[in-house]
Amino acid sequence: MERQMGSSTRIEKGTTIVDIVGQIDLGSSPALRKTLLETLNGTKSVAINLSAVRYIDSSGIASLVEVLREARNSEKRLVLFGVTGAVLQVLQLTRLTGVFEICETEEQALNA
Amino acid sequence: MDFHLKLIVPSDPRFLSIARAVVSEVSVMCSLSEELRLGITLAVDEALANIIRHAYKNRYDQEIELNCQAGPNQIVFTLLDRGEPPDPARICGQPLDDVSLSGRGTHLMKAIMDEVHYDRVPGGNQVRLIKRLPVVTKG
Repeated sequence: MERQMGSSTRIEKGTTIVDIVGQIDLGSSPALRKTLLETLNGTKSVAINLSAVRYIDSSGIASLVEVLREARNSEKRLVLFGVTGAVLQVLQLTRLTGVFEICETEEQALNA
Repeated sequence: MDFHLKLIVPSDPRFLSIARAVVSEVSVMCSLSEELRLGITLAVDEALANIIRHAYKNRYDQEIELNCQAGPNQIVFTLLDRGEPPDPARICGQPLDDVSLSGRGTHLMKAIMDEVHYDRVPGGNQVRLIKRLPVVTKG
């Protein structure tokens, strides 16, 4: 299992997509938070691709929540897609599946 | 399968993935389902992270003793640290209807494990996470 967390960004149809890989935990969530907030700062719409994330803990969830708050405060769009496995389980356990906008695929996230 | 495993984990977040790998493999040895394996791994990881952040105040040069006692009916993880005692208000867990930035770790531990116990022990703190295992019926 990919241990290191990595991320990259690209732009599709006016939305900045952040592709995240690896495991998000106490060690890597600060870097993720910084990346996501910086990305949000430079765009009106962010889609976070979690399909390659194999693990996320509460610190990773907190980072996503913080970015969501910032998006709402600045009237920007934040959507998650590729939410499966361990990530979906954690979002369900923390009852946040109804808080985030979540799409199954990238195409749905860009066209919704 | 009965066994006891002990691991000394540095209080450095870089070692969390190693601890998770150990817990995950222990779950596989106990023939737990994928869902249980993920859940137990998350719960232990959250407990370790809480110790690093709160007991050790993000000091990365301390040690956490992680014990796993596996039996036919339950698996018990005991974590020992020599840091600050937990704040009673903090270990209550985060209300689920509050979209705040903290407290979810404790909630996750309590949602996943059957029992979570916090105790003061000589020289430090102990948290015990207990998961009762599914009964395997012989057909």
